[in-house]
Amino acid sequence: MKTQRDPAAGDSRTDHDLVYAARDGDTIAFDALFYRYRDGIFRLGLAITKDPSAAEEIVVDTFARAHRALARLEPDDSLRPWLYRVAVNLSYNRRPRKGVVLSSLDEAADVALDNDEGSPSAVAEQAELRRLVLGAVDELGPKHRLVVVLHYMNGLNLTEIAEVVGCPVGTVKSRLHYALRRLRTHLAAHPELGIEPTRPIIATELRAPKPITVSLPLEGK
Amino acid sequence: MKIVSRGCASRQVAYLALADRLSASERVALETHASSCAECADALRNARRVDAALHVAFSPLRERRTMIAPGRVRLAVGPRSAAKNPWLRAPRFFGRLAEVAVMVGVTLFAVSTTFDPSTRQSTSSTATHSVVQQYLRAQPPIGEIDYLRWLRLNKPDDSTAVSDQRRLPMGGRFDGDPIDIQQGPGAAPR
Repeated sequence: MKTQRDPAAGDSRTDHDLVYAARDGDTIAFDALFYRYRDGIFRLGLAITKDPSAAEEIVVDTFARAHRALARLEPDDSLRPWLYRVAVNLSYNRRPRKGVVLSSLDEAADVALDNDEGSPSAVAEQAELRRLVLGAVDELGPKHRLVVVLHYMNGLNLTEIAEVVGCPVGTVKSRLHYALRRLRTHLAAHPELGIEPTRPIIATELRAPKPITVSLPLEGK
Repeated sequence: MKIVSRGCASRQVAYLALADRLSASERVALETHASSCAECADALRNARRVDAALHVAFSPLRERRTMIAPGRVRLAVGPRSAAKNPWLRAPRFFGRLAEVAVMVGVTLFAVSTTFDPSTRQSTSSTATHSVVQQYLRAQPPIGEIDYLRWLRLNKPDDSTAVSDQRRLPMGGRFDGDPIDIQQGPGAAPR
């Protein structure tokens, strides 16, 4: 006899077990996978598309693809990299709808901040700092922004990011390093964040040889 | 030959010290190196601040949730894959089969009543006559009796000829032109 579980309450089974149960027709197992990852995929879609309704459609499309691919899915540990990779591809392949003004990340954060408690000045100050940082993130290129979003918003480690993005871990490290340096350069202009400007690199080992300048006598003279 | 130095090679490690989840030994090695390298110490110090600012900035977004229900996924996938047991599809299959049977029956009835059987028979016999009979008539038979029959069959139809009532009073035919008997005024019958 099959026990009925509440999928929204969380399921202790691993992704591997849930996938195999869903493959056998257990809709509750698939719902458990959905409730486990829907928020993360929604945030990822929101960070890339900056459109909440588009992010919701990306969630639905991602899980629809997962449902169609159940027979092929073989998750070793977690289904999250596979789902996030599908969501990233869907987000980037999605064209922005006509007539929709896309909000930046900091506006999305302001929406989420509506329930914050505290003095109005402190809330305003935090919101301003948040706006500065997320504005700097928005100015990054898409590849570097994706790495930052996946790490700082979705909490993925570098190995998981490499699986999602589909590139070696070294490439992810390089992109994150570049993104952090760019962010440091951007944010150093705001002293309230306490970030120092980037120092010019001083070659300590070898210096480039100075160009040799030789004054030649002019022939006309 | 190294022309231009790009700084300390450990600078990337310093930037990614928090993101990369270094082990204890790696962290000790990095701290030791940073104590003697000003560039790496600067990178490590500011990377921590950038990291903290990013964590604070993304914290409200991490709380963002959606209320989508899994029913939307089922709608997107479609009802076809909902029931995989073939016995669950049996009622739908038989219902569909009954619909198709009724449709075929009605169509056959309509088609069969559209054509008149007598018309259909006459057209088929006419077609047979026109092909077979013409061919046989065109070929003269070999035997004598058959040849005479063939001639009789192929003689022109006299019924269509215009008959002269005066020349054919009794239904026969004269060999020569009929002669008008002229009776004079003084003539008397014998």
